[in-house]
Amino acid sequence: MKTKWIIGIIAAVILVIVGIALFDRSPDQAEAGLIKIGVVAPLTGDTAFLGEGVREAMLLAKEQLGDTEYQYELIFEDDQLDPKMTASATNKLIDIDGVDVLVSFSSGSGNVVAPIAERNEIVHLGIASDPNVANGFYNFIHWTPPAEEARVFVEELEKRNISRLGMIVPNQQGAVAVADAVKERLEGTDIEIVNEQTINAGDTDFRTAVNKAKDGNPEIYLLFAFTPELEILGRQMKEAGITTPLTSIEAFELTEERDLFEGYWYVNAAEPTNEFNQAFNSRTGKNQTLGAPNAYDIFNLVVSVTEDEPQRPTPKDIAEGLKDVENFNGALGNLSVGENDIILSPAAVRIIQNGQPVTIK
Amino acid sequence: MDIFIQLTLNGLIAGSIYALVALGFNLSYGTMRFFDLGYSALIAVGGYTVFFLSRQIGLPLPISILIGTIMAGIAGYIIYLLVYVPLRKRKASNMALLVASLGIFTVIQAVIGIFFSSQFRTLSGPVDAERIFHVFGGSITRIQVIILGTSIVVMFALAIIFRFTTFGKSIRAIGDSEEVSKIVGINTSRIIGYVLFIGSAIAGLVGILVGFDTGITPTMGFSLLLKGVVASIIGGVGNVYGGVVGALFLGLIENYGIWHISTEWKDAIAFGLLILFLYFRPQGIFRK
Repeated sequence: MKTKWIIGIIAAVILVIVGIALFDRSPDQAEAGLIKIGVVAPLTGDTAFLGEGVREAMLLAKEQLGDTEYQYELIFEDDQLDPKMTASATNKLIDIDGVDVLVSFSSGSGNVVAPIAERNEIVHLGIASDPNVANGFYNFIHWTPPAEEARVFVEELEKRNISRLGMIVPNQQGAVAVADAVKERLEGTDIEIVNEQTINAGDTDFRTAVNKAKDGNPEIYLLFAFTPELEILGRQMKEAGITTPLTSIEAFELTEERDLFEGYWYVNAAEPTNEFNQAFNSRTGKNQTLGAPNAYDIFNLVVSVTEDEPQRPTPKDIAEGLKDVENFNGALGNLSVGENDIILSPAAVRIIQNGQPVTIK
Repeated sequence: MDIFIQLTLNGLIAGSIYALVALGFNLSYGTMRFFDLGYSALIAVGGYTVFFLSRQIGLPLPISILIGTIMAGIAGYIIYLLVYVPLRKRKASNMALLVASLGIFTVIQAVIGIFFSSQFRTLSGPVDAERIFHVFGGSITRIQVIILGTSIVVMFALAIIFRFTTFGKSIRAIGDSEEVSKIVGINTSRIIGYVLFIGSAIAGLVGILVGFDTGITPTMGFSLLLKGVVASIIGGVGNVYGGVVGALFLGLIENYGIWHISTEWKDAIAFGLLILFLYFRPQGIFRK
């Protein structure tokens, strides 16, 4: 019994010493010329293919760097898009790795990272729809704003003479932000939302919602769900005999089961440049994924701002530099940081053709 | 009228799944008298075994389903022998058993996640290949008909075992009093082991059926177990038939409840119903 106690106490002391050693590594200890960029993205789980795309794009950007004044280190942490994991990954990146810049993927994760980044005075760039992710001095968004996506979406509805819209929206921040933008944009048009169903993220039985969605006889259904709800919803709509066309803003590129949405048009961020597409393809052997060009641009934006500083910049310097960005030549075109610290990029109409997204406008 | 029929069908399908969960849960609760969270992990064991055997190894589906069901049963039996028997021998409290079962749930779902990733997967084929039946204006898929049929078959099979076999009588005796059962010569430890095997096999079957209907994830069992427990409480905890009635009642109320309000209220309706029962009729629809 006594031996057990002694072993327990020794183990506890070792843990405390190791813990202190790890947490005591302040950013000051980092090499003077090293800028650390911490990325929180889903590297395992349902959306791992998106997180992998983000990682590959950022590594590609780093590989393409020429001679630079400072060195750049990328540190990736997996959060599986689970807010609890996002919070612990973010704290680890700040406390243990001492990162200068944080990058997050999705509105859910961005809303977790943003207040932590602001509190710790660390620059955070979110690949997210929800404008709340850009709240505060240190937070930025690089994603086509919901208002721009809604503008392109409503224009396409009008062009196709669609007047009755059905909407299925999960109660997730990013989806709600885009849905609200669509509703706002529809005001004053002849297009009516004849049916709107809100579903719970994490559910798997949407049959009743699907059946209720038939009311009002919509001409098209706008789906916002994330994976795997999106695939389940797509299947259950087909099982319910719904043959009405489906459309989405962003959602169809969030799934690998694109055959469920073959031939349907939707709105997403504009097509990246050919240079980016070719470089990404030759590095990974795959087509770029949702958010990958944004991640590529984020790395280059941070480098561009940092390289302008004569001395190793503080996070405050980087944040101030980002706010002044204008006409930056990125993978998503000519980028400028707009009001509310959102990096503006255009939206486009796309279609799923042979399982692949293709830009049609 | 069409929507009413469809809601009824949706309610019966959901209720059938909850009924199977409640049947298995009531079996283990009725004999061991604690809230076995590990039961939810066995739901995923069934689903992932079929996924591995049929999708990755290429075994025929019926054999995969049979092995998947038995595997979940064996897993439940092994957990009983390795974890619950020693704890029960030490007269561990129900809280200790509950925490142990939470540990089992965490370990199993983590192991499944490591081997198969936590990515959502489905056991069914292409959606266009799914046969759909039309009943009075409502539609129901072949797998949903199988779910309904399975829950009826399992319920009747258990009813026959309980009523007409010595084994069933032993289970009922243990449910009434384990101590008295021991005194009259029932090998309670062995019977409880068998009961857990059957209950766990039912859990595995649930995982397989849900895997065909919607899909599988390592954590899929937890929300199903919660609904199964709600159904058990509504029907009468420990009462096998009550659990089935409670499950069908829950499935129907959940679906009728969101007829005129947003579907996001579905879980709130289920747990609101639970609170109402706990307040006004804590013994459930049927007494034990």
